[in-house]
Amino acid sequence: MIKYALQRTFYMLIVFLIITLMCFVLIRMLPQPILPPEDPHTQVIELRREALGYNEPYLVQFALFAKNVITKFDWGLSEKLYFGQDVWKIFIGKLPASMVVNLYSIILSIPIGIAFGIFAALKKNTWIDYTLSTLTMVVISVPSFVYAFLIQYIFCYKLGWFPFLVKSGTDWLSWPMFVSMVPAVMSLSFGVIAGFTRTTRAELTEVLTSEFMLLARTKGLTKTQATVRHALKNCFVVIVPGIFGEFIGILGGSLIIERIFSIPGVGGLTLNAINGLDYNIFILTTCFYTAIGLAASLVVDISYGFIDPRIRMGSKK
Amino acid sequence: MKKLLCLLLAMTMLFSLVACGDNGDTPVVSGDSGNEGENAPVGGEVIPVDPAKSYIYKTSVSTLATNWNPHVYQTADDAVPLDYTTDSFYTLIFNDANHPVEGKETFDGYVTVPSMAAEMPVDITESVKAEHPEFKIPDSATSGYAWSIKLRDDLKWDDGTPIVAGDFVESIKRVLDPTKLNYRAADVYDGSYAIVNAKEYGLAGNAVFTSFDAAGTTYEEWIAAGHTDDEVAVDMNGFWGVTSADGKTYGVITDDTMVRDPAVDEGQPEDYVSAKYLWDNYLGPNGAYAGTGYDLAYAGTVTYPYEDGYSFDNVGIYAPSDTELVCVFRNAVDGFYLTNMALGVISNQLVKVDLYDSLLKETETASGTVWSSTYNTSVDTTASFGPYKMSDYQLDKSMHFVKNDNWAGWNYDWINYVDPTDGNTYQMYQTTEIDIQVVTEPATSKQMFLAGQQMTYGLQAEDFDQYRTSEFYYATPAETVFFLLFNGYEKVINDREAAADFDAATTDYQVQMLESFRRACAVSIDRELMAATVSPARSGGYAFLGNTYIYDPETCAYYRDTDQAKMALVDFYSINLDDYNGDLDAAVDSITGYDPETAKEKFTEAYNEAIEKGYVTDNDGDGKSDQTVTMIYAMSSEMSDFYRKTLDFLNTSLNEGAAGTGFEGKIAIVASAPVGNAWSDNIRNGLMDTQLAGWSGSTLDPFGMADTWTRKDAAYWGNWWDASTFDMTVNIDGKDLTMSIRDYAECLNGNTKTVDGVDYNFGYGQVDVETRLDILAEIERQMLTSYNCVPILQDGGGSLLSQQVYYVVEDYNPMLGRGGISYMKYNYDETEWADYVASQGGTLQY
Repeated sequence: MIKYALQRTFYMLIVFLIITLMCFVLIRMLPQPILPPEDPHTQVIELRREALGYNEPYLVQFALFAKNVITKFDWGLSEKLYFGQDVWKIFIGKLPASMVVNLYSIILSIPIGIAFGIFAALKKNTWIDYTLSTLTMVVISVPSFVYAFLIQYIFCYKLGWFPFLVKSGTDWLSWPMFVSMVPAVMSLSFGVIAGFTRTTRAELTEVLTSEFMLLARTKGLTKTQATVRHALKNCFVVIVPGIFGEFIGILGGSLIIERIFSIPGVGGLTLNAINGLDYNIFILTTCFYTAIGLAASLVVDISYGFIDPRIRMGSKK
Repeated sequence: MKKLLCLLLAMTMLFSLVACGDNGDTPVVSGDSGNEGENAPVGGEVIPVDPAKSYIYKTSVSTLATNWNPHVYQTADDAVPLDYTTDSFYTLIFNDANHPVEGKETFDGYVTVPSMAAEMPVDITESVKAEHPEFKIPDSATSGYAWSIKLRDDLKWDDGTPIVAGDFVESIKRVLDPTKLNYRAADVYDGSYAIVNAKEYGLAGNAVFTSFDAAGTTYEEWIAAGHTDDEVAVDMNGFWGVTSADGKTYGVITDDTMVRDPAVDEGQPEDYVSAKYLWDNYLGPNGAYAGTGYDLAYAGTVTYPYEDGYSFDNVGIYAPSDTELVCVFRNAVDGFYLTNMALGVISNQLVKVDLYDSLLKETETASGTVWSSTYNTSVDTTASFGPYKMSDYQLDKSMHFVKNDNWAGWNYDWINYVDPTDGNTYQMYQTTEIDIQVVTEPATSKQMFLAGQQMTYGLQAEDFDQYRTSEFYYATPAETVFFLLFNGYEKVINDREAAADFDAATTDYQVQMLESFRRACAVSIDRELMAATVSPARSGGYAFLGNTYIYDPETCAYYRDTDQAKMALVDFYSINLDDYNGDLDAAVDSITGYDPETAKEKFTEAYNEAIEKGYVTDNDGDGKSDQTVTMIYAMSSEMSDFYRKTLDFLNTSLNEGAAGTGFEGKIAIVASAPVGNAWSDNIRNGLMDTQLAGWSGSTLDPFGMADTWTRKDAAYWGNWWDASTFDMTVNIDGKDLTMSIRDYAECLNGNTKTVDGVDYNFGYGQVDVETRLDILAEIERQMLTSYNCVPILQDGGGSLLSQQVYYVVEDYNPMLGRGGISYMKYNYDETEWADYVASQGGTLQY
């Protein structure tokens, strides 16, 4: 297992380096906006661009970037979106807002989703199962921003129960902040609940019809005992990686939800950096999410081995 | 009812004032102490603001400012905090009862008053010319170049630190610092209000590459003028996609250092190229592209016009004392343009020097170093010298301002004004706090407004039907007129039709070049209906210049209100004045530009002409064109509701206009793929045909717009319509003077042209304003007659104002709007407002 993990880590670093280099070059290859020649600011912009070294060969620029990141953990300054400001500080400053909203969302939605899934599986082919399955499909099919607008309209505007926007400030774990986040959390949760409901129902339904479940019942276990001790454990082989994925997703923001509820998070940061040609922000977010994505896939793969002892990584036949 | 009562009160007060013999004819300017005794405040004692009450101005933006450093900010979003935290030497205020303007009702105009300055500027051109030859004031000049500004002695930053004249000098030095490459340096060293020698300092040591095209010269002429090959360069990046050996986009043609071309495989021909190689083989006199135009576009002059190490001492700004600032400009300037424009550029640059210097950071780059600063990016790094100071800021979320008790302005004598609605005197800035939130979705913004949580709501297209008649609705005109453009670039249109994939049997691009066709299109469009259909905040556009252009900022006189401007339209739209008993206003009001009958005549004429010229055919003999006249609409972004409605309306209108003619059902305006900002280049280069386009800005300079319309590199039609080849005649001082349209436009903007040995210059201050208006109106008429485009829509916006507040003036003023935050009055404080909203069930009716 250790050898496998080390091997995967090595490959991961190579993939990370290739993706970073590709993105570094590609963003610089995007055409610059056309500057009006009669505008006197054009000359200053061009002089500054030259001083920034953007006219140097890409590999020269990449070498300096890599040196600064490796030796000083310096990701550079923003040149467009947050002019003159340290991009790492900006990114880290915006991360908590996204993380807290996502965290509340998954804390709320994963147990509910799994519970609904179990309930539907246990009540398979009853009106409860049909209702839950239908609702699940409907919820999955509708984009989250539709819920966001509906929730904002009903709970914030019509009923006045919650503020329209997430509260200003950095007291992320305070009660007023939580209250202000409820509409956003609800908007994010519907999809997650539906996803887990569907997955759990499907897996549990399959496991419950397995022969070993029949064996468990014939050994004298009650239905509840058999379900909890054997069925759930087996279906979690599929569910747990999904939970891992949700937790990893905490670090990414939802572009639309953050816009609607004015959450100062990282959602849309990469897209804005591409549109604004803010190289340093783009490369930082790209590196960050690439690293997270690669690490997550490794963790999920390794986790299979712990959840299900039958799965062994890296062992030779 | 409440407003009506206020109005009656105001009128009563006004009659009382008249009865008391206050003639109020002379404009009174704050600081003009000689008049103070004669013009004592007429509104009575100032009604104080209850300090226990809170008045919070709650607003939203879609993008929050991220860097409001006055030296580097680039967008209007970033400038928002500066509206509240800065001041200027001179300020515009409404002409209230204490500041009357002759011929204007109160609050119908404005006056300029000193703010940070203690008095109006003093012209010291003569003495500066004698003492400072380095400022190069022309020998013939006697006024307008050098000005002394006496500053107040109580100016302070929000932390109580005094502001002295030297701070302005140091701020200008920092914005111009050639090593810092500040975006706003260009405001100081370029344009009409440039400080003398500022460019020499600000660009010291930097080389400038200019293509031969842009420089208006050729290689041969450049060398013949005494320059060497070291002063000629190739645009390596533009021409070959590589950068020079020293990292620049251009390379001097004597430089044979080879650089790798990544587009060519190693070992293949031209895998390495140099500037010299490109010159010798392609762009030089013996190159393959000599005489093709590429040699002028991609080769040019390289100059070092500004010596390295140029001293700031030569820049035209210095402080003889803590309360006196001397500014020397490159061009003469005075009056409104001096106090409100030129000196505004200087006061805009003020930074708190010690804080500013501590936040500068030098960063290593691939080609050296570059400087950045975090000044004005957070509460801690923001220094205020305006009525408010920043108290809270969260990136991409919100910002909050509270009153700045250290603002000297609380002692300005114009800070108290006589309210036109009730005749009482109040202190400006009743607002105690300002809260700005990021709200990106209009639906959210609307709900927040209706719940009493926003002061204004900018109406969306779908809201106009419901709210246009609301008493809280305010229409705000904008300066831009949107034109429907036509393509007249014959060579390019012919090339497009010659392309292999062009279907000549079904499509035509050439007919749009016919004037008869353009005229037919012009009268086929019901502009008001189009505005109501596609963009309800806008209205029909009929002229080149919109309703908000002010030709005399001293008196707030609108160009469109002049007889000359009205006559230009009456002439162009062939209105018979006799039908209106000579009433110009009535004649202008009757203009619709929509005439379906004439449209059919013109389409028929265009069809016959097109058949004759071979642009279209009628091979099947049905009396209709075989080809569809197609115009490609240059899309700047993805298809939106606005675009869809625009294209639908135009296509429907044009085809209805052509009904019964040879073009019936044969006109199509087709959307291009989105081309972003390149849409204008595509239009100028004739590759795409049309757009609803216009120009914004220059509200105070309609004369400058004439330069834009007629300049080849600025006008959309510059590549096929040359204003220098069309003459026009204007009666100047009783004598007809004929010049080209372009020459007239240049003369109108300060250039001198010689006709029959006589020099003519119709620039600002050179001739009386009536002559300038005559010329401008004739240029506008000529431009309309050229049919390069057809004015369609007048830009504008509409918004609702919260019941919590009211404007002291209903009519929109292009300079002051409706008074903004300084004049905003509150019907309710925060506590009262919350109670009121609750009493309405949490949702307000507008």
